[in-house]
Amino acid sequence: MMRGLEDHEDGSDRSVRPPVKVANGRGLDTGRPLTLLDRLRLCQSAWAPGTPWDREGAFAALWGRPIGSFLVLGDASAQPQILCLTVGSSSEPVREFPIQRTGAVFHLPQSHLGFSDLVQLVAFYSLSRDVLPVCLYIPPCVFSLTDQPDRVLSHLGPKFWLCSSPNPQLDHMTMTSTGLTMCSIQVTSANGALPAPWTSRPANHRKERRLSTTRQWGGAGLRKMRGLSLDHEPCDTPQDSSGFPAVQSPVSPPPTEGVVLRRASQPIVCDSLKRRGDSESAAEPAAGSDSQCGPTPQSPHRVSSLEEEPDPALSPAHHHPHSLPLVLADKVKNRLSAVGQAIGGLVSPQKRLSKRVQELSERRAGAFAEMLRAFADNTLRGAAPPPPSGTEMLQEVRNTLTGLREALLDCPEIQILIDSLTDIPDPELDAMLEVSLHKVALKPVCAHLYTCLRDYRSRDGTLQNLREHQQALEGRDPAELGGTAGAGVPDAVTLERIQQRWASMHEAYSPSKKVQVLLKVCKSIYHSMSANASPGAVFGADDFLPCLTWVLLRSDLITLQLDTDYMMELLDPTQLQGEGGYYLTSLYASLFYISSFRPRLATRQLSAEAQQSLSQWHRRRTLHCNQSRRGRNRRTIRKHVRSAGAGPQREGEPQREAGAQREAGAQREAGQADGERPASAEGGSEATDAPPGGRMGSLHAAGGALEVLQEEEGHLVDTGTETGGEAEEPGEVGQEGQGLAGVVRGVPETAKLKEPEVERREKGKDKGLEDGLSNHLQSMQQTQGEAALRGDHRPHATAWTVSEDSAS
Amino acid sequence: MALRELKVCLLGDTGVGKSSIVWRFVEDSFDPNINPTIGASFMTKTVQYQNELHKFLIWDTAGQERFRALAPMYYRGSAAAIIVYDITKEESFQMLKNWVKELRQHGPPNIVVAIAGNKCDLSDAREVSEKDAKDYADSIHAIFVETSAKNAININEIFLEISQRIPVVDSGGGAAGKGFKLRRQPSETRRTCC
Repeated sequence: MMRGLEDHEDGSDRSVRPPVKVANGRGLDTGRPLTLLDRLRLCQSAWAPGTPWDREGAFAALWGRPIGSFLVLGDASAQPQILCLTVGSSSEPVREFPIQRTGAVFHLPQSHLGFSDLVQLVAFYSLSRDVLPVCLYIPPCVFSLTDQPDRVLSHLGPKFWLCSSPNPQLDHMTMTSTGLTMCSIQVTSANGALPAPWTSRPANHRKERRLSTTRQWGGAGLRKMRGLSLDHEPCDTPQDSSGFPAVQSPVSPPPTEGVVLRRASQPIVCDSLKRRGDSESAAEPAAGSDSQCGPTPQSPHRVSSLEEEPDPALSPAHHHPHSLPLVLADKVKNRLSAVGQAIGGLVSPQKRLSKRVQELSERRAGAFAEMLRAFADNTLRGAAPPPPSGTEMLQEVRNTLTGLREALLDCPEIQILIDSLTDIPDPELDAMLEVSLHKVALKPVCAHLYTCLRDYRSRDGTLQNLREHQQALEGRDPAELGGTAGAGVPDAVTLERIQQRWASMHEAYSPSKKVQVLLKVCKSIYHSMSANASPGAVFGADDFLPCLTWVLLRSDLITLQLDTDYMMELLDPTQLQGEGGYYLTSLYASLFYISSFRPRLATRQLSAEAQQSLSQWHRRRTLHCNQSRRGRNRRTIRKHVRSAGAGPQREGEPQREAGAQREAGAQREAGQADGERPASAEGGSEATDAPPGGRMGSLHAAGGALEVLQEEEGHLVDTGTETGGEAEEPGEVGQEGQGLAGVVRGVPETAKLKEPEVERREKGKDKGLEDGLSNHLQSMQQTQGEAALRGDHRPHATAWTVSEDSAS
Repeated sequence: MALRELKVCLLGDTGVGKSSIVWRFVEDSFDPNINPTIGASFMTKTVQYQNELHKFLIWDTAGQERFRALAPMYYRGSAAAIIVYDITKEESFQMLKNWVKELRQHGPPNIVVAIAGNKCDLSDAREVSEKDAKDYADSIHAIFVETSAKNAININEIFLEISQRIPVVDSGGGAAGKGFKLRRQPSETRRTCC
């Protein structure tokens, strides 16, 4: 690949550079700050100078250099290459270590770590000494490579590498670091702290291919090397020809190394911090002691607030570097994982995404930040007429989350980041985006939402029922709850652990995170069920639900009910069909069973009683489902309006193009949705608009910001599709609906039953749009429904009340 | 290849072998590289059908009478429902009819219904004749097979028939495929122009 760049490499060539991947498979962000790997690649000819250099010359050159200074001798064709290293001992100041190559893997003979190329090996050993006596020392000048015009690089040689004036304090740091670096490769492997590429010996084929190019550096000299490096990573930031101007957030710190600084333990990374400090802020006063050298350069890069679970071992270490031995194990672990991240740029995509979202949320006058602030304000202040139920309150929140996610997807910064994560499937990306959003949107309002939820659930009697029925049912064993004898229940210890998990589930503000905890609980319940079971026994829902109920009866039902509501409504609807959705449904079902339990009534009666509430539940979930599909459509509409000049211009030219494509896709999806509707289902009169399964997986929820809604409403009126929207779900007045139909005044039955089948067919593709509009109407109704029921009805809204309530 | 996720709900009396059917369907696809589900109540299996991949998300329900009212929470949004009865228990067949009614009334509008007469290996103890069941299934346009989870009879066939009956999506591709395209296109555009 990229041979063309080798000898006539010229800055202008870069404009036509096809997408490339770095070693870890990520695509490149253009304009991204250089990683250590990139820098090392840029100046590889300096530290691995090739044939003219021999052992003696290298030893001479390294003599008296800072400890850790090194050169690599021999080209790839000569086996082995030799790492010459200044170790600082008086008897043997410079030592050599063979670098072996087995197949496509580079490694030091005594080490268990393999690397797919020399650069990675060097980068790793500059951060972790592993089997070496000291870490490799990367001279500070390397960290200033970014700013150099690339022509200068072609003159780099060992002189550049070794002649940067040694700083005594740096030496001191390096030695300190060496003394503290207790990690060995055994620790590494056992901890699994390093990401896979670093611990896996077998070469990965993608890397191998790249390697074959890399190996040519031997006789080709620097120029060729440079071509290669550029191929892998832009060394100069201006990439205007890519058509993406100003893509980099002005406030964004260099991501990779920022994380290294944060994650690595304090004293150990001093040297690298120092080097960084030297190169990037020369004015930085040289620190004389360990405890001083760290924090200053570190602070701008701290992103620890983004961590899901901050490591408690880290924070004390910042302030008490001398208590190091106590936390050494953690430090080593952290350090190693930091090492892995630093080298491969392997900062988890989730963290990068979260970080970027966090930045956007803090940006002054940014659209996303404004939306967030408005959301938080509105939520904390409470709607003017408070929503009639906790469910509706949460649905509003969910709508906003969806709108925020759309807004994020429209942000160039996020778009770029997402585009670089080519190896992550879309559903996962969506989930990651959700999680990032939870942090900035839900965390501030979470406690408030719980307070409101508790109020709602107290008022509707659920909490009271749960308390009473818990007492009544507590003594029952699983068999009395409907379980079979073969399945076990959790023992006291497991039950205790489950209680702790429930507590941590409650603590989490992210519904996704909560569901993860729920899955852990369910897993341990399963484990208990099958602990003493005969081999081959299969425990399905017949056994699981009673067992779950048994566990719930020994738990804090009130909190669980609130948690369940929170998760049910706020989880991304696309997550509801999977495993998390299943067990969440089971939790909900089990709580419902307990709260609606009537000891003196026959089960039949219970069912009848339950149906009423269930129909509400069903309506809610169905609505949700529709909303998420509606998202795309809504989006389509918004784009439509804007492209017609009625809406604000979108920022960024390329984005508009992307948006147009997405719009096309959304329309296609809407069209399909229409196509899936049965021409005449058996029992068609009861047909509801609940989407068939299988579609949910693709749903990207969207829209929900008020301005967007208003925009659409305007559009809707313009095109006069209210009727279509209104009759969108024909004949839905099912049995439960009858009663409600009586409540709603002034709506003729015929209007509700009007069948727009023909109309619908005729409209063809535009129907997708209408679906969106009508669905939108439906969601509008949700908030207006109450007003409608009070008699303040707008015809379409009223009609919707009926059809929705009968949707079950 | 387009991937479609199909939610399939299992209904039927307790003890008729709902989860055994799923277990049998899923077991041969256990791949150590794919995270297995945490229990048999919810299982997944992906099969190829024509030019699509169908990922079945199989939701088991508790068949006990006392939990009957909870079923709508589970079957909501299903593309298909498999209603299982035990051929050696007439009662379970009557219950099946109730499930069909309920699905017709409250289930998703175009849900594919499959009827599985399980335990057909126990034909000595048969209480429900195959013909009666078949006639009933035909009358409601449902898929019908007699199965034996124990002997792995007709298990894959049920799911194959469900695949066949799932409405085809147009050439735009399956659910996940669409999502993919929607997101990827912008980046590809960018790359070709730079």
